[in-house]
Amino acid sequence: MSEFERIPSIKKAPDEEYYVPGHRTCGGCGPALCYRLVAKAAGPNTIFIGPTGCMYVANTSYGCGPWRVPWIHAQITNGGGVASGIETAYRMLIKKGKYTGEQPNVIVMAGDGGATDIGLQSLSGMLYRGHKVLFICYDNESYANTGIQVSPTTPYGAWTTFTPSGEVIPEGRKHFPKDNAKVVAHGHPYLKYVATGSIGYPVDLMNKVRKGLAQEGPAYLHLHAPCPKGWQFPPDKTIEMAKLAVQTGMFQLYEFENGQYTLSVQLKERKPVIEYMKHQKRFAHLKPEHIEKMQAFVDAKCAEVGITVPVVAAAQ
Amino acid sequence: MGKVRRISGCVAAAEAVRLADVDVISSYPIRPYTGIMSELARMIADGRLDAELVYAEGEHAQLSIVYGASAAGARTFTGSSGVGVTFAFEVYSPISGERLPVQMAIGDRTLDPPGDFGSEHTDAECCRDQGWIQGWASTPQEVLDMHLIYYRVGEDPKVMLPQYVCQDGYFVTHILGDVQVPDEAQVKEFLPPYKNHHILDPKKPQIIGPQIEPCMGPPQQYQRKQAFDNINEVLIKAHDDFARIFGRRYDPFLEEFMTDDAEVVIFGQGAHMNTAKAVAARLRNLGDKVGVVRLRTFRPFPTDEILKRMSRFKAVGVVDNSAQFGISGGAGVLFSEVRTALYDVGDKVKTVGFVGGLGGEMITHDEFLRMFRKLQEVAKTGKVEKRAYWLPFEL
Repeated sequence: MSEFERIPSIKKAPDEEYYVPGHRTCGGCGPALCYRLVAKAAGPNTIFIGPTGCMYVANTSYGCGPWRVPWIHAQITNGGGVASGIETAYRMLIKKGKYTGEQPNVIVMAGDGGATDIGLQSLSGMLYRGHKVLFICYDNESYANTGIQVSPTTPYGAWTTFTPSGEVIPEGRKHFPKDNAKVVAHGHPYLKYVATGSIGYPVDLMNKVRKGLAQEGPAYLHLHAPCPKGWQFPPDKTIEMAKLAVQTGMFQLYEFENGQYTLSVQLKERKPVIEYMKHQKRFAHLKPEHIEKMQAFVDAKCAEVGITVPVVAAAQ
Repeated sequence: MGKVRRISGCVAAAEAVRLADVDVISSYPIRPYTGIMSELARMIADGRLDAELVYAEGEHAQLSIVYGASAAGARTFTGSSGVGVTFAFEVYSPISGERLPVQMAIGDRTLDPPGDFGSEHTDAECCRDQGWIQGWASTPQEVLDMHLIYYRVGEDPKVMLPQYVCQDGYFVTHILGDVQVPDEAQVKEFLPPYKNHHILDPKKPQIIGPQIEPCMGPPQQYQRKQAFDNINEVLIKAHDDFARIFGRRYDPFLEEFMTDDAEVVIFGQGAHMNTAKAVAARLRNLGDKVGVVRLRTFRPFPTDEILKRMSRFKAVGVVDNSAQFGISGGAGVLFSEVRTALYDVGDKVKTVGFVGGLGGEMITHDEFLRMFRKLQEVAKTGKVEKRAYWLPFEL
């Protein structure tokens, strides 16, 4: 890993923006905030690859886009492959004297579909070959630009148009979600840096972007990106949802290097998952036994990465 | 002036890629095109080619990798066969639509089923409307030459389109032929370096492939159509320059064999036409006025050339080495398109479709003989009793 400049605080973050106003995302959009922070941390010598998803559809509508750096569309299937080609091309063109300039940062910004589902093969191919690419999943836990359909990262019990609650299937979504950071972390020999991030913790997120870009090979970041439309909470509550997800353990913030998890925030205690779920109408149909199943699942996920603090319900 | 080597179609394709100084190659194995990548891997390992071979995790990834690499300014190459060609399908249109002059070799193979390795044009012909230049070579020499010519045409600023260079599986990919392998200096004179005005470069940020309003789509498609309209002129100039520099002249569109006073001709593309020529030569010895027309450029389809040059025959038999079910005319895509091209001459030229060589079978001398006899019968009687024949079942 090469040296990188750590951002000490939000006030000392760079002023320059490379993801600028003019896009058409929903009010309170979590993925758009991800993009802004990622672009700010990465700086001008960057090429973004945007597989089909919200951040393609809402950002590039009508032929205009909010980036001050190059951006190219990839299919939802092939963010990793397209990035592999760009990274290899620049490496070869520089080697052969056909391009004078620094190797650019190559960043894929894929949604959960493009990273964990239809695009997973492409991601894995890119990681195993060792391309120097930062692959980022902005996870809003659904296929959102098609109108909120279930994806592998949709939480157990969440409503989507493909997982409605009904008499036969009261909880709607029956499966527990895929944990993509762990899917990729263990089997790709050149992947030395895997981390999770949250827009509720922007300084931490930006430093993880810089650390990912400083790797000699690929890096994978999984960013939690609340979606007011899909999760059905008011658009002014996005940051609150992001923080509650971490505080309840629904989303675990860590870095994974050398086979070790390093927690990014030190919780004193965990709030019960209901404190997070009760604000989101996508969980409104769940019964107490479903909430219990969710709590048990989250407890186990937290234990996996070393979050051992007790769950403490707020005083009534 | 280069040297003569006895090599297969696969090795000939690899030689062309080496000579074109390609930067990024993406591979995935599937018979019969695999030999191209094996040869390129050997060249890179031995230091004869300075390129990176990216081991894609499938054909879809192969095309994704060259899409990105071409958009970043690299000259690129990939290839496939059979179901590999169709697995990559999603990415063909974006490559063409973003006007990236990627080149792909297709060593033809049947689609499954039948699960055999044999050659059929069905795989490559599936891609015929994806906005790529496409043509068939019939010998290893023509493979090498076509790869070089297509890079030049596809990268021309008036064109900027990707290209499929197709060769019959086994009949060309695996059969050796004497090939004049040119010097690098000759190739440099013929093929300028790849330059694209819209590449991904942080020094000149731009957005490639945004979502657009419906009304913004038609102008883009029309521009692509206009680029297609420019191909013939660029193709002719490239063939002229190729003949001057390398000393080998090809007709860019149609190779004619013994057609001067021919009354009936077999029309087709690829290596099976070599057999057709042998049969035509035998029939000429018997005094029969027969010939062969071999299509070299399939996309853009040379409608005007066909209309101009083939309306002098009494009967044209179109041979399709492909399975296209329910297609107009009842044979294959070549038959359908030749009939369309000849529509303007009315009933003057009789056309008959023949589907042959499916599953990678030879189209035998005897089968071509039966086709010629059928065409002579049609020419003599002026009647087409049956429009299309699947061989060997119906003729």
